[in-house]
This record gives sequence, structure tokens and C-alpha cells, in this order.
Amino acid sequence: MEVLALVYRNLRARPIRSILTLLGIVVATASMVLFLSFGEGLRKALGAELSKVGPAILVISEGSEAFGAGYPELPPELLGHIKALAPELGITRAIPTAVFARGGFDPASSFIFQGLPAGVTAQDLYPNVRLAAGRLDPGQQGAVVGGGIAERNNLGLGKTLRLSPQVSLEVVGVLERSGGLTDSFIYVPITAIQTILNTQNYSSILVSIGPDQSAERVARALEARLEGIKAQTTGDVMRFAERAVRISDLVRFGISLVALIVGGLLVANTVMMSVYERIREFGLMRALGAKRRFIFGLVLLEALLLGVVGGLLGLGLGQAASGLVNWYTLREVGLALSAVTFRLASFALLVAVVLGLLAGFLPARTASRIRVVEALGRV
Amino acid sequence: MLEALDLHKHYHQGEIDVVAVNHFTYAFPPGLTAIVGPSGSGKTTLLNLLAGFDVPSRGEVRLDGQPLSRLSEDARAELRLRYMGFVFQQWNLIPTLTALENVAFPLMLAGVTPKERVNRARHLLETVGLGQRAAHLPSKLSGGEQQRVAIARALALNPPILFADEPTGNLDSASGARVVDLLLHQAQEGRTVILVTHDLELARKAARILHLRDGKLLRVEEASLERA
Ligand SMILES: Nc1ncnc2c1ncn2[C@@H]1O[C@H](COP(=O)(O)OP(=O)(O)O)[C@@H](O)[C@H]1O
Ligand SMILES: [Mg+2]
Repeated sequence: MEVLALVYRNLRARPIRSILTLLGIVVATASMVLFLSFGEGLRKALGAELSKVGPAILVISEGSEAFGAGYPELPPELLGHIKALAPELGITRAIPTAVFARGGFDPASSFIFQGLPAGVTAQDLYPNVRLAAGRLDPGQQGAVVGGGIAERNNLGLGKTLRLSPQVSLEVVGVLERSGGLTDSFIYVPITAIQTILNTQNYSSILVSIGPDQSAERVARALEARLEGIKAQTTGDVMRFAERAVRISDLVRFGISLVALIVGGLLVANTVMMSVYERIREFGLMRALGAKRRFIFGLVLLEALLLGVVGGLLGLGLGQAASGLVNWYTLREVGLALSAVTFRLASFALLVAVVLGLLAGFLPARTASRIRVVEALGRV
Repeated sequence: MLEALDLHKHYHQGEIDVVAVNHFTYAFPPGLTAIVGPSGSGKTTLLNLLAGFDVPSRGEVRLDGQPLSRLSEDARAELRLRYMGFVFQQWNLIPTLTALENVAFPLMLAGVTPKERVNRARHLLETVGLGQRAAHLPSKLSGGEQQRVAIARALALNPPILFADEPTGNLDSASGARVVDLLLHQAQEGRTVILVTHDLELARKAARILHLRDGKLLRVEEASLERA
């Protein structure tokens, strides 16, 4: 009781200084939480997006990266080759798609057109998709728009979409909002995309497999049998993304480390000052029979308390900031970009505790080495 | 039993070698012993050595036959906790703790349970007449009250030895007398009370007076029987 009272009342005895120091830790922790929450958000969003994709394997051209939403590079014959392998590899369906993105800096003015072959609907690709109005099949001259993009750009049934001077499509279906990237997609006939880009190629071929097939094994077999392609499973995409996210985590942690170090120095400085002001008090405690360890612990506890309380408040602030970011990105692109996961929260608190301990070590050592005679000689 | 055997303490002040305590030998019996001498005669230095705050340059202090200077700093602290109580001239109390918590502080160091600590500390404050001031911070107490809290704290673990270095130095005569009466009472109970003062009037209440001059024990004055 007395120990905590001592620590707490000493911090409260100099309220402004303690609060300023605390703020340093709060801001440092909050910025770290926010920075790292983007990585966690990406992981979560990616996992959620991938789980919405029906087909197990994505075939793209060998040179392209991960998501394969680039310029169509797969030759049309490839579809025939894959279909020829279907019985042997247990492939149930192969759907070619072509993607055309018309972007702006503002996410609201960016459009992603996904071209589907005749008879294929968005539901074949993303089984969770639900129709809000009109019909699912874009047909020859139609377009089916995602819920998010329909709302943002006021694309109701019957509206005309001009993809190029030659190609105009009429909105024939609107999907329900589902939260996620697909809310921002527009599904159109693949021929429309191919006309605009003046090619017969595909961007990707989505391959579905039978329930007793392993996606991993089929993907590797496809790569071995066919030239110039990459066959990705959701696992591959996750692993690739995880590597990228981890590197960016490190970079972002490095940046927040600056704030953390400044926060730590702030605590060290505050606690050191309070040690110098209390030399007499520590000398008195030693005279009364306190061991060095006791004084050391007392001072360390003070720094630790600043670290823990600052860490908790910083976590709260970081979470609030993350919520604000998500509110914005959800509205704009339908994705929660930031997530404060349990492991991120634990990590942040751990960092705050370690920070407190490191910051308290030197002042604690100084305090525990105060000599009684010198301390008592002071007034 | 606290004994000083041929104690020496030198300080180096640049070129000059100051001998603060010089050939001091004395065995302190139970009861009140006053150490008197002019300012700079080495009283505080002697007390620092006897309490184990500092180590002598030569000679040794023994507590029940055990030489203090052979012990580590922490072992001396532990010894102080169990065997010695202290009342200093001023700044006796931990400013952020209440009177009660100050008295309970040594009990906490000794590992007494929280409930027992509060009970004992409350009782001790009552014996020094401060039962009503338990929840007050030192800054809300008068100088005399602070000294009485310090005495209550010094008695917390019932130590056989009490040290008081000019305990009345900052007090008016009425509150000073009250503090001295408390110390005297403890001496009559059989404790060894060592009172450092430059006030001869005060020292007259002691069973014996050690006269210190330039760090040397000049003479020991035993009080006449009827006073002791
Ligand atoms: N830390 C120190 N360094 C150097 N000289 C000291 C120190 N402490 C005390 N002295 C000297 O030792 C002598 C005795 O001092 P002190 O024990 O404080 O005397 P008193 O308590 O009787 O006034 C004085 O001459 C003083 O200047
Ligand atoms: Mg003195």
C-alpha cells in the first residue's frame, strides 16, 4: 500500500510534469498502434476478400504480380489448354476474365471493370454477391454494378456507362453492398473490355476444382504443364501478401520507434529529475532501513506506471484513430484498412512496459546508490 | 549493547586532513546518554558511524559484539531496521505519506501485514498524543508534531536503540520539552537512547553526558543518583 501510494502520490505531487510526460507516451504509443494497425487491417481485409472468391485457383501470366489485375496478357488458346487438362486434374470450371481499371487519385472516381464471358455472372466468381435490383447477367450490352459504386456515383438501372467512344453499356443490375472490394467492381461482358483494349487476351483465368482436389497440387500441376503462366491459390496470395505486409510493418515500426524513443527519454528525464529532487527522501528511507533493492524498485515502478498508463491511454487513442481511418476508407473504398487486433494491442502494451522499464533503469540505479550521509546532509 | 572501539574518521578537504572523530571508545549502556560539544566537534559524524550510515577510517562499532563495518550496506540497513530508531533535527518524514503511513513505513519494510501495520501505527501515534492527526500529511503538522511522529516511527519495530540528532533544534521550548520527555520515557523503559545536542540544559536530563571536543571524548559526566 505505501509503495504504490508513494509512487502515485509522487507523480500526483507534480501534476503538470507527470501529465506532460504521460502525453509523450500516449502519443508515441498511439502513433505506433495506428501505424501498425494498417498492416493488421491489410491482413484482415485480404483474408476477407480472398474468402469471398469462389474459384480456388487464379491463373495469370508469369510476369505479373500477385493479384493479376493488369493488362490482359494470357493468350486465348490457354483456356483450351486448361480445359483439355480438366478431366485429368479434376478441374470443374475455368472462367476467363479481363480487367480494365480507370483510375483517379480520388477513390470515388476510380472504376474497376471486370469482364465476364457470356453466361457467367458475378455470383460465379464471388458466391456471396446478392442482387439488389435488375438482373445478375450483364448479357451482350449490359453492366452489373457493385453496391458501393452504384451509391457513390448514382448508377441506377437504365443509366449509361461510356467506357470509350465506341463502347457504351447500360446498367441492367445493381448488387447489394457487401463490404469489400467487390462493392467497387463493375461487371461487364468480356468482349467489351477486349474491344476497348484491342486484344483477344485474358487478364486471368479463374479455375474451380472438385471438392476432393487440393488447390495447391492442381496449381503446381498447371504451372508444370503450361508455359508462361503462374497459378496462384489463396494460400499463395496470402503468403505473398504476408511478406510484403511484414516488410512494411517493419518500416512503419521503425518510424514509430522515433516517437517511442522520444517518449522513453521523456520518462527517463522526468523520473531522473524527481530522483534528484528526492535525494533527501531516499537517504531517509535508507537510514530507516530500506535496502537498495527497495529504492530501485520504487523508482522503477514510477517509470513503469508512466509507461503502463501512457501505453493504455495511447492504445485507446490509437484505436480511436484507427476507427476514424476505417470510417473514411469504408465510405470511400468499402474496406476497413486499419485494424487494432488483440496481438497488436498486446504488442503495444508490451512496448510501453519495456519502454517504462528501460527509461526507469538509470534513475532507479542512481537513486539506489544514494549514500545516507550525503543525502541526510542536504536540506 | 552498542560499543565504539577506538573510532577514527578522517575527511580529506583538498590538502587538509580533517579528523572529525578521534580515538573514540565508549560502550553505551541502556538509558539516556547525551553527547554534547560545540558545533564542529564531531557529534554528527560520530552518530553516522554508530548508526552504520558511514564506515570509520579506523576502529569499529560493535552491536552485540558484531562489527558493523564488516557488513554490507544492505546488511547494515537491515540491522538499523531491527535494532535502531532515528529522530533527526528536521526533514524526518516522507512528505508524500501521511503521519500514519510514515509510522507504518518501517513496519512495511519489515514485512508486517497491512492490517497489523495500521493497527500498530495507530496505537503508536496515540502514545505520542497524535491519534487525531493520523491522516495528515507532514506539511500539515507543526514542527513538534512532526518530531513526535518521528518518535512514533522510531519505536515502530520496538528497537533497543534510539538515536536523536538535535531533535529539538528547530522547536520552541514547550514542544521541545515534550519531545525530550518522550525520549526520556523510552530511556526509562530500558532502551539505549543516544541524544546528540549542543544544548547543555537539555543534556542535564540524561543519565550521563559525553563531552566531545575536536572529535575526542573529553570526559564522561555521570548524573547524580537522585536525578537518574
Ligand atoms: N563530509 C564531510 N567532508 C569533510 N569534512 C566534514 C564532513 N562532515 C563533517 N566534516 C567535518 O568534520 C568535523 C565534524 O563535523 P560534524 O560531525 O558535523 O560536527 P557537529 O555535528 O558536532 O557539528 C567538522 O570540522 C566538519 O567540517
Ligand atoms: Mg551536527
